[in-house]
Amino acid sequence: MGASPTTLRLTLHVWRQASRDLPGAFEVHHLEGISVDMSFLEMLDVLNEGLTSQGREPFCFDHDCREGICGMCSLVINGQVHGPDQEITTCQLHMRHFADGDTIVVEPFRARALPVVRDLVVDRSAFDRIIAEGGYISTDAGSAPEGNALPISTAAADEAMDAAACIGCAGCVAACPNASAMLFTAAKVSHLAQLPQGEPERERRVLAMVERMDREGFGGCTNERECQAACPKGISVAHIARLNREFLRSSVLGRS
Amino acid sequence: MSPTADRRLDGRCPSGEMASRWTRHKFDLDLINPANRRRFHIVVVGTGLAGASAAASLAEMGYRVSALCIQDSPRRAHSIAAQGGINAAKAYRNDGDSVHRLFYDTVKGGDFRARESNVHRLAEVSNQIIDQCVALGVPFAREYGGTLANRSFGGAQVARTFYARGQTGQQLLLGAYGALMRQVHAGRVTLLPRREMVELVQVGGVARGIIARNLISGEYERHAADAVLLCTGGYGNVFRLSTNAQASNVTASWRCHRRGAFFANPCYTQIHPTCIPVSGDHQSKLTLMSESLRNDGRVWVPSLAGDERPPSDIPEGERDYYLERRYPSFGNLVPRDVASRAAKRVCDDGFGVGATGTAVYLDFADAIGRDSRAAVEGRYGNLFQMYEMITGEDPYRVPMRIFPAVHYTMGGLWVDYNLQTTIPGLFALGEANFSDHGANRLGASALMQGLADGTFVIPATITAHLAGRTVEPVGPDAPAFGEAEAAARERDERILSVRGGSTVSTLHRELGLCLWNQVGMSRTEQGLREAIGRVRDLRERFWNDVRVPGEANHLNPSLEHAGRLADFLEFAELLATDALQREESCGGHFREEHQTGEGEALRNDEAFCHVAAWEHDEGGAVRHEEPLSFEEVHLVTRSYK
Amino acid sequence: MGRCHVLIWLRRTFGSSIGSKALMACTGLVLIGFLFAHLGGNLLLFADADGAAFDAYATALEHSPLLPLAEAGLALLFCAHIVLGVRVQRANREARETAYRVRRTHGARTPGSRTMVATGLVILLFLVAHLYDFRLCRPEGDSLALIVRERLASPSGLVLYGAGVLALGLHLTHALRSALHTLGLHHPRYEALVDRASFLLGFVLGLAFLSFPLVFFLGGAA
Repeated sequence: MGASPTTLRLTLHVWRQASRDLPGAFEVHHLEGISVDMSFLEMLDVLNEGLTSQGREPFCFDHDCREGICGMCSLVINGQVHGPDQEITTCQLHMRHFADGDTIVVEPFRARALPVVRDLVVDRSAFDRIIAEGGYISTDAGSAPEGNALPISTAAADEAMDAAACIGCAGCVAACPNASAMLFTAAKVSHLAQLPQGEPERERRVLAMVERMDREGFGGCTNERECQAACPKGISVAHIARLNREFLRSSVLGRS
Repeated sequence: MSPTADRRLDGRCPSGEMASRWTRHKFDLDLINPANRRRFHIVVVGTGLAGASAAASLAEMGYRVSALCIQDSPRRAHSIAAQGGINAAKAYRNDGDSVHRLFYDTVKGGDFRARESNVHRLAEVSNQIIDQCVALGVPFAREYGGTLANRSFGGAQVARTFYARGQTGQQLLLGAYGALMRQVHAGRVTLLPRREMVELVQVGGVARGIIARNLISGEYERHAADAVLLCTGGYGNVFRLSTNAQASNVTASWRCHRRGAFFANPCYTQIHPTCIPVSGDHQSKLTLMSESLRNDGRVWVPSLAGDERPPSDIPEGERDYYLERRYPSFGNLVPRDVASRAAKRVCDDGFGVGATGTAVYLDFADAIGRDSRAAVEGRYGNLFQMYEMITGEDPYRVPMRIFPAVHYTMGGLWVDYNLQTTIPGLFALGEANFSDHGANRLGASALMQGLADGTFVIPATITAHLAGRTVEPVGPDAPAFGEAEAAARERDERILSVRGGSTVSTLHRELGLCLWNQVGMSRTEQGLREAIGRVRDLRERFWNDVRVPGEANHLNPSLEHAGRLADFLEFAELLATDALQREESCGGHFREEHQTGEGEALRNDEAFCHVAAWEHDEGGAVRHEEPLSFEEVHLVTRSYK
Repeated sequence: MGRCHVLIWLRRTFGSSIGSKALMACTGLVLIGFLFAHLGGNLLLFADADGAAFDAYATALEHSPLLPLAEAGLALLFCAHIVLGVRVQRANREARETAYRVRRTHGARTPGSRTMVATGLVILLFLVAHLYDFRLCRPEGDSLALIVRERLASPSGLVLYGAGVLALGLHLTHALRSALHTLGLHHPRYEALVDRASFLLGFVLGLAFLSFPLVFFLGGAA
C-alpha cells in the first residue's frame, strides 16, 4: 500500500471525425478525478458526460458487452491496440495502468479496409464478408448426424478452440504494420481445418476466404507477429502458418 | 392499473400424451411447398442465438429473410457472453438422465410457473441442438476417446451440460453466425447491421413489417414482410447495472407491446449472486463470475456491523459465515436466489464490506490451505485473473468481494405454443419471450432455449402461419408504414427538442437505483408502490429535462440510449406493477410479505398458478391470466435447509 | 482453353497475397543458398597471399559453359524477389492510408523485421555497385583477387561493402523465419529454434561477408 493516487488528472487527445468522407483531427480534453477503478471506457463515459453537460457532442466509440467477449470495442491507446496491457480488450483495460498527469492519445483502428464511420467508430463489415465466403460448415438444420458419431481428439478440439476463440475485434489488423487481416482469416480457416466436419469444404473455403481478404484491401503478412502480441485472445501466428499451408496445398495440389 | 380482467388467455398447447405432443403438433401444422416459400419474406430482428439460428434455418428452407442487428456484426449479439454451457438430455454419462428428467428439472427449477408442453418440447429438441452444433463445427470439449464431454452445472444431479471452455455462448453464437453468413452469401438473407427496430407495422391487425433506424445514417427504413420475428433478448438493463451488454434493451418488445402484444411476467428477473461489486458511480456494467466459485469459496461478513478493518485483521471468531450458519446442509451452495437475498440482507443490515458497503467476502483461504494454491489456480485461475484485472486485488491473498447482479429476465412477450404473440404474424423467440423458464431459469438453459426456438420450433410454426392465410402483398408505401415511420420520427424529434439539463446516463442511473432497491431481489408492497411513483416522476423528468446532443441524421449514441431509456421508463412501471400484483414469492420474484418463517419463498398456487400477461392501455395496463396446469410434474415446495 | 486455365490459376495463386509472399520466400531461400556458395568462393581470398586460389576459381567459373545459365537464373531470382518485394510493400502501404499519430510496438517486432524494406533497398543499391565493380566494369586481364583487394582496401570500399553486408545480415535475421512461416512450415515446438537459427544466419553471414572489407582495409591491399 503506497501513496499511489486513487484519482488521476489526464490530458486526452481524442480523434474527432464527423463522417467517413470528412477529414478528422485530434481534440484535446482535460479530465480530473478519474478513479483508478474505472475501466478505460468508463473514463470515456465521464468525458462524454462532461461534453454533453456543456452542450457539446460526445465522442462516438464502439462498445457493448464490456467484458471482453463481444469484440465490439476497439481503440488504439497511446499507439497500442487495446492499450498497454496483455490479452485484454479496451473495455477490460483499467485506469490503474495510467499515472497521474498522463497524456493519452486515443485513435481509431486505422486501415483502408476498416474506414472510420464517425470519431472512433470504424466499419468492420469486411470481416463479415470474409466469413460469408466460407467461414462455416455448410449443414442445414435438421441434417446433422448424432453428435458422438464423429470422434475428435482432445488435441484437435483444443487447437480448434484456440483458433475459434477469435472475437473479430480487428485488433490484429490495427496492430499489423501492413494492416493485414491474416490472423483473423487464419483463425477461422484453422478452426475449421482441424475438425473432420470442416474437411469436405476445406480447399474451397481457404481459397475463397483468402481471395476475399485480398479484395477487401487488407495488406499482406510480413510475419512481424504484432497481431499475436496485440490479440486480446492470444491467438497464435501458428494459425497463419496453417493458413499459408492450407492455401498453398489447396492451390497447388487441390482438386478445384 | 385495473386488476385482473376476466378474459383468459389460451396458450393453444396441444393436448394428449406429453411425450408426443410436439410430434403430433408438427404433423397437424400446415406446410408450404418448397418452391413457394421464396414468395414469403420474413424480418428477423436480432441475431443472437435465437435470431441467427432462425434466420439461417428459415433461409435454408427457402424463405427470403432480412436479419437486423443493433451491433456492427451479428457475431456480437449478447448470447456471446454466456459462459457456462448448454444442457441436453443426451444421457451420455449413463447417469439416468433423460428427456423427461430435463423436462422435470426445468419445470421444477422454474418454480412451477412455466407451461409443461413448452418445456417438454424444449427438452425434446435439446439433443438435436447438440447434433446440429457439432455439425456446424462448434469445438465442444471432448473426452480423450474423442466423444463429447459433459459437466454438472448449477446444482444439477446429472452431468448434462456441454461446454466449450468458458466460452460456450460465444462458440454457439459463432456457429449460428456462420450458418447465417452462409445464407447471406447465398443471397437468401439480407443482412442489415447497425439497425434498431423502432416500430412495428400492422396491416389489418397482422404484423406486416417494421420501421428500423439506420444507426449510422439516422434514416428511418421501412421493411415490409409477411411475418416478423423478435429475437431481441431480455430487459435486464432496465436496472441500468446488470451483466447485460450495453445495447441490450426492451425497445423492440415494448414497441410491439404498445401496439398490442401482451407482455408476460415482467417481474421474473434473475439475480446472479457472484458478480464483482460496484466500485463507484462511474460503473457501467457488472461482471459475472462463474457460480462454480461457491464450490470452494466461503461467504462471510464481519460479525460487527460497520467493521472497517481489512479482512485479514478480522479474526475467525468475528466472522459470520452466514450461509453456512443459516443453511447448514447446503451451506455456500444454496440456489442463486437464496444466496443473493442473503447477501442483500446482510448488507442492508450494515454488515457489508468494501468502500461502498455493498459486498460480501468470498474467501478461498480454506481451499488454498486444504488443496494448495496450485489446485485452486487450476480450477479458477482465469476467474481469479479476471477479478484481479477489474479490481486490482489479488484474490489468492485477499478475499474476493462479491455482490449479486441482475443477469437474466424470464419474463417477455407472451407467446402461444407456436411462439406467436397476441399480434398475428409477430413471433418472439429466445429471451425476448416468456415461455420456457417459468419464474426462474436453470443454468445452461438459456442457450438451449434460444437455439431450440430458432432452429427447430419456428421453422415449423411460422410455416403453418404463412400457409394458413392468403397473403395480400403489402409494400413499404402502405399507409401503415407511413404512420409508423412518422411516429418513430416524431418521437426522436421530441426527445431531441427537450434540450434540458439531465443527461440520459444520469436518468438511467436513477431509474436503475430505484428499481434495484425496491423492485430488485426482494420486494414489498410499500416499496413497489413507492417505486411506481418514482418511476412516473422520472418519466416526467425525462420528457421535460433530458439533454440529448446532436441530431437524428447521424450516428448518435446519446439519442439511441435516450430512446431506449424512454421505453425502459414505461416498462419499469409495468415490471413493478406485475411484482405488486403477484402476491406470492416464486423463483426470481420474492415478496417479503410471502415467505416462510425461515425466510424461504412462499408460493401461492391457489391464486397465482398462472401466467400474468399484460395488455397495453393508455389508461393503465390490463392484466390477463393464462392458467397453468401441471399434469406430469406435481407441485411441490423446495427446501434447502 | 487449357492455357487459359493455367493462366487463371497462376494469376489466382501467385497474384494473391499469400502466393506472392510464398514466391518471395522461395526465391529468398534459394538466394540464401547462393550466398553460401558466394561466401565459399570468397573465402578462397584468404587461402593464400597472392590470390592464386581465388583467381583459379574465378577463371574456372568464367569458363564454365553453365555460367550464362547460372547468371540468368540468379538475375531472374533477384529480379523476382525484388519485384515481388516492391509489389508487396506497395500493397501493404496502401492498406493503411492514414498513419497513426502514435505508434508503439506490442513487443513482437525485431530490428530485422522492422527494416526489411529499408535493408532490401540498401542491398539492391549495393548489388548494383557490386556488379559494377566486379562484373560490368572490371579492368581486363588483371588478377580478380587483386582487384577485389584493392577495391575493399579503399575507404569508399569499406563504407560501401560494410554497409551492404550489414544490411544483408540484418535482412537475413528476419528472412529465414519469415520465409518458413510463409511457406507454412511452422510448429510451436520448433518456433524458438527457427527464430534463433534465423538470427544466427543473419549474424554469421553478415559477419562473414564483413570480414572481407574489414581485413583488406585494415591489412592493406597487400
